Amino acid sequence: MPDTISISNDVRHDTERWTGRVLRIGVWVSASLMIVGLLIAATYPSTIVVLSSNPTLGNLLMRILSRSFDPVTLMFAGLVFLMLTPILRVITAIVGFGVEHDWRFVIVSSIVLLLLAGEIVYSIFIKG
Amino acid sequence: MLIISFISLLLGGFVAGTFGALLGLGGGVLLIPFLVMVLDIPMHQAIATSIIAVIATSSAGAAMNLEYRTVHIRLGMLLETATVTGAILGGITANYLSANVLAKLFSGLLFLVALVMIWRARQHTGREPIYTDGILPDSFYDDASGKIVHYTVKKVPAVMLVSLVAGNVSGLLGVGGGIFKVPAMNILSGIPMKTATATSNFMIGVTAAASAFIYFAHGHLNPFIASTAALGVLAGSMTGIHISRRIHGNVLMWIFALALFGISIQLYLR
Repeated sequence: MPDTISISNDVRHDTERWTGRVLRIGVWVSASLMIVGLLIAATYPSTIVVLSSNPTLGNLLMRILSRSFDPVTLMFAGLVFLMLTPILRVITAIVGFGVEHDWRFVIVSSIVLLLLAGEIVYSIFIKG
Repeated sequence: MLIISFISLLLGGFVAGTFGALLGLGGGVLLIPFLVMVLDIPMHQAIATSIIAVIATSSAGAAMNLEYRTVHIRLGMLLETATVTGAILGGITANYLSANVLAKLFSGLLFLVALVMIWRARQHTGREPIYTDGILPDSFYDDASGKIVHYTVKKVPAVMLVSLVAGNVSGLLGVGGGIFKVPAMNILSGIPMKTATATSNFMIGVTAAASAFIYFAHGHLNPFIASTAALGVLAGSMTGIHISRRIHGNVLMWIFALALFGISIQLYLR
């Protein structure tokens, strides 16, 4: 296990700084999408129907790519972006540990990422 | 009707987030009883909503704590291997359990949280058991003492076991699990309380994300409810963090511990 004190403080703080930035951007982007979705919902001319089943991730992506920004899609996009934020934070940490040449923690973080990826694959599988 | 639901969710989320931050609980412990008992939202949907709120508050809080350098990133990542495993199993299990069983389990959790709160309120703030002969040495600047605190981590396997349980409870019942992890990190590993709290907060976003997609796939995420409540909790927790620097939490801790006992019994009998 590398002695963390021996790692250059600047490099180490870069990992912390970037991880913090990713989290902050994730919260801002997702909160903005949710707020815009709610604001459009408040002024929407027709009744908004929320289905009992959530869209698949692929469906949601297709709706965003086809620019059908109805309020429900925007809110879902905000929620999914928020759910992805911690995963982006793990990826940032892997890169940061790699830059620090702390390979042991690159492996530890990669295990966390693999577990999260497994969860997403499982979710897509049960959705059918 | 829509506007009334919107205001109730936003205000409820705000209050849960504010007091959650003041009491060091996170929003979920107070948000779920509010959603289920006041707004009559189904248990699975309330848990999914709480998980979203937990990710939002953890991400915002961790970004701030990383700036203050109170988060031990390496320890956090190491313990996340356990919390994420527990949370995935908890998320899968929760979707096979009935709302009634989950409500009973949640009422048990509230009872436990109330007991831990009373124990914490009775603790005398003395010298913390900081070790320098463990692994993963780290340090942070302590505002209160004006000194740099150096510490190491001990008994990692024991804390990983507690983290596995905390992750499982998080995935199963939609809370952060800090109530288990923070005392374990502080007492077992000898990490300063400030770092234990910040590291736990850093971890709960990833832990919650580990079950969020499962709830999403099962259709328990209502975009209107989850977005509104999450925004309310997020604003509330930011306010709570701000207020907590000025007030003494012990009296509040006692009041809420008693309130949690009441809510726990009411939820069990529901």
